Amino acid sequence: MDILLQLIANGALLGGVFALISIGLTLIFGIVRVVNFAHGEFLMVGLYATWIMASQLGLHPYVAALPLAVVFFFLGALMQRAIIQPLMNADPHIQIFATVGIGTALANGALMLFSADLRSVDLPWARQATDLWGIASVSRGNLVAFFVSFAATGALIAFLNRTHLGRAIRAVAQNRYAAPLMGIDVNRIYAITFGIGTGCVGLAAAVLAPLYPAFPTVGSFFVLTAFVVVVLGGMGSLEGAVIGALIIGLVESLAGYYIAPDLKEVVYFAIFLGILIVRPAGLFGVRGNE
Amino acid sequence: MVAIRRRPLLGGLAAAAVAPRFAAAQGGEIKFGALYPFSGGLALLGDESFRGLEVAVEERNAAGGVLGRQVRLMKGDAVDQNQAIGEVRRLMSVERVVAVFGTYASPLAFAATQVTELQGVPYFEMGAISDPITERGFRYVFRTCPRSSDFGAATVGGIVDALAPAYGIDPKTLKIAILHEDALYGQTVSGFQEAQIRQRGLNQVEKLAYSARSVDLSSVIQRLRGVNADIVLHTGYQNDIVLFFRGMQEANWKPRMVIGSGAGYSLTDTARAVGPAFDGVMNVDFTQFAVNEQYAPGVAAFVELYKRRYGSDPRSGHSLANYFGARVYLDAVQRAGGTDKDRIRTAVLATDVAEGTTPTGWGVRFDERGQNTRVRPFLLQWQGGRQVTVFPAQAAVAQLRPQMGA
Amino acid sequence: MRVALALGGLAALFALPFWLIPAIDPEGSGFWQHIFVTIFVFAAMACAWNILGGFAGQLSLGQTIFYGIGGYAGAMLNQHFGLIPWFGGIVGAAVAVAVAVFIAWPCLRLRGPFFALSTIAFLEVIRLLAIHFKDFTGGSAGLPVPMFVGTEMRIGWAWMLFREKENYLIIAFGLMALALAVSWLVRNSRLGFYLVAVREREDAARAVGVNATGVKLAAFAISAALTSLVGTFHGIYLNFIDPETMFSLPTAIQVAMFALIGGLGTVTGPIWGTLLVVPIAEAARGWLGAAANGLHGLVYGLVLVGVVLTMPKGLVGSIGPWLKRRFGGVAEVDSAARIQPPAPAAPGEERPPVGEPLLEARNLVKKFGGLVATSDVSITLREGEVLGVIGPNGAGKTTLFNLLSGFLPPSSGGVRVRLADGAWVSPNSPHGFAAAGVARTFQIVQPFTGLSVRENIMLGAFHGTRSAVEARRIAEEVAATVGLTGLLDAEARSLTVGGAKRLEVARALAMKPRVLLLDEVMAGLNPADVQQAVELIKRVRDSGVSVIAIEHVMAAVMALSDHIVVINSGRLIAEGPPSEIARNPAVIEAYLGEEYAHAAA
Repeated sequence: MDILLQLIANGALLGGVFALISIGLTLIFGIVRVVNFAHGEFLMVGLYATWIMASQLGLHPYVAALPLAVVFFFLGALMQRAIIQPLMNADPHIQIFATVGIGTALANGALMLFSADLRSVDLPWARQATDLWGIASVSRGNLVAFFVSFAATGALIAFLNRTHLGRAIRAVAQNRYAAPLMGIDVNRIYAITFGIGTGCVGLAAAVLAPLYPAFPTVGSFFVLTAFVVVVLGGMGSLEGAVIGALIIGLVESLAGYYIAPDLKEVVYFAIFLGILIVRPAGLFGVRGNE
Repeated sequence: MVAIRRRPLLGGLAAAAVAPRFAAAQGGEIKFGALYPFSGGLALLGDESFRGLEVAVEERNAAGGVLGRQVRLMKGDAVDQNQAIGEVRRLMSVERVVAVFGTYASPLAFAATQVTELQGVPYFEMGAISDPITERGFRYVFRTCPRSSDFGAATVGGIVDALAPAYGIDPKTLKIAILHEDALYGQTVSGFQEAQIRQRGLNQVEKLAYSARSVDLSSVIQRLRGVNADIVLHTGYQNDIVLFFRGMQEANWKPRMVIGSGAGYSLTDTARAVGPAFDGVMNVDFTQFAVNEQYAPGVAAFVELYKRRYGSDPRSGHSLANYFGARVYLDAVQRAGGTDKDRIRTAVLATDVAEGTTPTGWGVRFDERGQNTRVRPFLLQWQGGRQVTVFPAQAAVAQLRPQMGA
Repeated sequence: MRVALALGGLAALFALPFWLIPAIDPEGSGFWQHIFVTIFVFAAMACAWNILGGFAGQLSLGQTIFYGIGGYAGAMLNQHFGLIPWFGGIVGAAVAVAVAVFIAWPCLRLRGPFFALSTIAFLEVIRLLAIHFKDFTGGSAGLPVPMFVGTEMRIGWAWMLFREKENYLIIAFGLMALALAVSWLVRNSRLGFYLVAVREREDAARAVGVNATGVKLAAFAISAALTSLVGTFHGIYLNFIDPETMFSLPTAIQVAMFALIGGLGTVTGPIWGTLLVVPIAEAARGWLGAAANGLHGLVYGLVLVGVVLTMPKGLVGSIGPWLKRRFGGVAEVDSAARIQPPAPAAPGEERPPVGEPLLEARNLVKKFGGLVATSDVSITLREGEVLGVIGPNGAGKTTLFNLLSGFLPPSSGGVRVRLADGAWVSPNSPHGFAAAGVARTFQIVQPFTGLSVRENIMLGAFHGTRSAVEARRIAEEVAATVGLTGLLDAEARSLTVGGAKRLEVARALAMKPRVLLLDEVMAGLNPADVQQAVELIKRVRDSGVSVIAIEHVMAAVMALSDHIVVINSGRLIAEGPPSEIARNPAVIEAYLGEEYAHAAA
């Protein structure tokens, strides 16, 4: 029993990490309708950026989170304008390869600049264990990531529902052809959404930096899981992404313990395929979006 | 003319960058291939391995070269198997190398050796550890470094001969768990560890594999904790070693000892990323630099040469292992008195060097299959931020400390 | 001429590494031959991928599943049973086809990026399983290809292992030629037409009797078998097989990228793409790789983005048309000028009498959630009859058509069709209806823009024949009937609305249907065109085809129809001969409002 609670706690916290990484992806996925294969590499760039700020400027990674998110917003918007926008009406094949190309370039650029070594942000505080009411022992950094993922999701949902811009974004998601009739500049919305999605990655990177070292291929470790989470939750659904992330986190934790650690990916890919077959729109997705 | 001759002494980088054709006409040179992964994911230790070879060659050249000629290394960048085949073909046909040195990574060695064997070009392996490389009946493939099975034997032997005595208990009472990443290195080494444990009648309580791309090892740790493992034998890469130790910290649990295998545990970067928890962690690896000079004469001199040449400390023992191997082979070619493959084979197999007389402490005696039988990895331990040799006793520079972590 | 050019190009491609380079640079030939083996191997895989990814438009990023299966089949049968890899290759291809069918079943239901992601998921699962079940596969430790077994040296043609590098070149070239030939055959066969049709407009393809899932499955299987053969050879060539290399995602992406850069869905594009990119990559690695770790990957990524932005149609798709414009002198077709009136009915041709029922719909009900789109509609079409279906906008006419052609399954009730031999059948899918002799058009006409007018019509003709020659003949015949002969070679996208509508009818007619469902073929036409359309439908009727026509142009419906049914709000409110319908108050009310109904009465 004791061990089960610990596994659930671990799984939930891991789910928090996945959620943090996935919300940006699902936003872009749902609204711009582009699968960003470079998402993992954005995370990698963010981890390096946090490491540089922490080691060179002595900035606390959590303090670095906000400026990093802002910088990433502009990078994302820029990338959308320069590379994705011209391809908006192209075949999905083309869009996928454009982002694959960006990802390859970023990963290799990092290899050039930083070599294959691990770069770790030194924040022992984040790695210390905290006792949760005597039922589980978890690290503080993971708790922070967990709460930030919820806060970020909540903030985004509020933004989409309560603000004018957010409603415009939702309008574009619902009907990209009708939105212009209501005076919405669709292309601007795309750039902003891409920026917000990328900004989320920047935030995620800063929060995760004390937990995960940076190296050039770190993005590929996370990106497939993020895709699974996004599809599971339903394309474009932020709530879905969080719940999908929690499910995958729990599956990883429980399957790793009860089945075999080297087969846990098999288990969640199997779930992923099952969901795609039974409910292609995902748990919280809107039918027809697939 | 003079400038070209001196280039290998001045800078390997420049030598590598210069198109080989210009120098090909130099009659006074003898060319060898150097096949390593210089780019891609394996680049760091591939390059480190090459440096050992390069230092050995420059040392040899300064002392007059081989067969009275200056040795020139032709680099081949083998990122993957396909690339390894292409590069080794280029080295053989375009550069006309006498033999090829390599490779650090086993898949690359498998691919390249079959090509060289069919062409009858000797292949000098100095870093790839997969056993079957020298078990395929090839005549011109030789290996100076220890194999996976040697790693397995050294790890388990270390428990029996060094760790259990340090605890002052019977090794059979220790609960041993094996943990490994599921790529080639982890899967082969752990297989031999398991066989050794069974052979010696020890108590193995768990064997767990995980994907090398894992981002979370907490469930693994819970399982180890569940079986209450005393000793964890872990074969992993840098990233998952860091995850493993951070996970143990989070779970507030650790075994009495972790014995790692190989390069991931030897890198200072890993130790830095893990922090104080890494102190006391043991490792089985190629000879490292904190080794008894009397058992490994020349190791300090190598570090000195390395520092002068590259301006930093060696990043891992791979350079030393390659330095050792290169000296053995260059010496054999010298004794062969020519570059004919069968004369080289005879000379290599005739090599007889006692243990404790080389910079790695390893001896040399090849079996018919081309495998050096007088090598074994040593038992190392992280003490005060340095990795020191603790076993065998002749090579040790420090006492084994039976506790782990800060 | 084109064939000769292609064969010449292939011969040159083979001669280059085989004779030319050894003659010029004998020392470097070993290296160059390796480069060309790599090119041929990747070109073969890209060609195979293109059958699925290009022709069928299914972006698979898991193609190395089959490459790995081929590699493992060859190596494992060699290792465990001492069987030659040629045999292993065949076994591998068979296994690959089986796995492809298994994977395709769930994946093919998904579209676009979701299909791509699901293939990646399968690839990951298979890679992890290959690692986990190490007693079976050798796990990550891999399988070295045995060269010596005891004292026997297993080299030579039987074992695919050679001292002479040229022999590798011959096999690799052979594989590429095979993949290219299969690709060409597929593209020019019925299957190829169907694949393109499904890629561009799945519903219209299903209307011409294409079993969409079936043809995608066929493409998947062919592509898998070819890829597996390449995998067997390349596994032997690499001398060592492990899950990381054989089931590699980066390789899968690379293969797709070669096809994309060369030109998606073109026959030779994948080869051009490989021919361009592999040497650039090798050169970049040679020049940049040693100098700066990662630089070549950076360049690679940037080149990919650049190509995608500047030439989204790939080399063949972008440069080909330019070459044609520049040198081919193909004049733009002025489509409006070339439409002829439909061929007049031959004199003396008599209208056959209206006969027995041919298609019956009984008590059809269709509900979408709470909305009842069709409510208890029963209609009967008799042989040789034109049945008009009228009703206001949103009355549910098109839903009725979708029920009558299998595009929607009814919530209750059923449709049955009498076959030529008199037996009645109740099909439940579009291709089932097509097989029973029911053809249809769509209200919104969108010809398959990737195909010419002739090829569009051929798509329909393929319903009755497998032979491309025969289909071509039927297409020309039908084109003459509808008056599109002058436009046969024009691109379908260049047609006017009137032309496109005729093309839609022509495609349906080419199926040689016994029942033709026409969905507003006259909407948007000018009066002269309407007149021609009426004549055309009469001719069709006179040739023995029974017609159900949804139409808004009242005069035309009244002139054409033998019998009319009126639908409003999903229910049948009246039926009878045109003269009766014109006087029916319920109809007038439905169309014009209540006051008019009273006035008329």
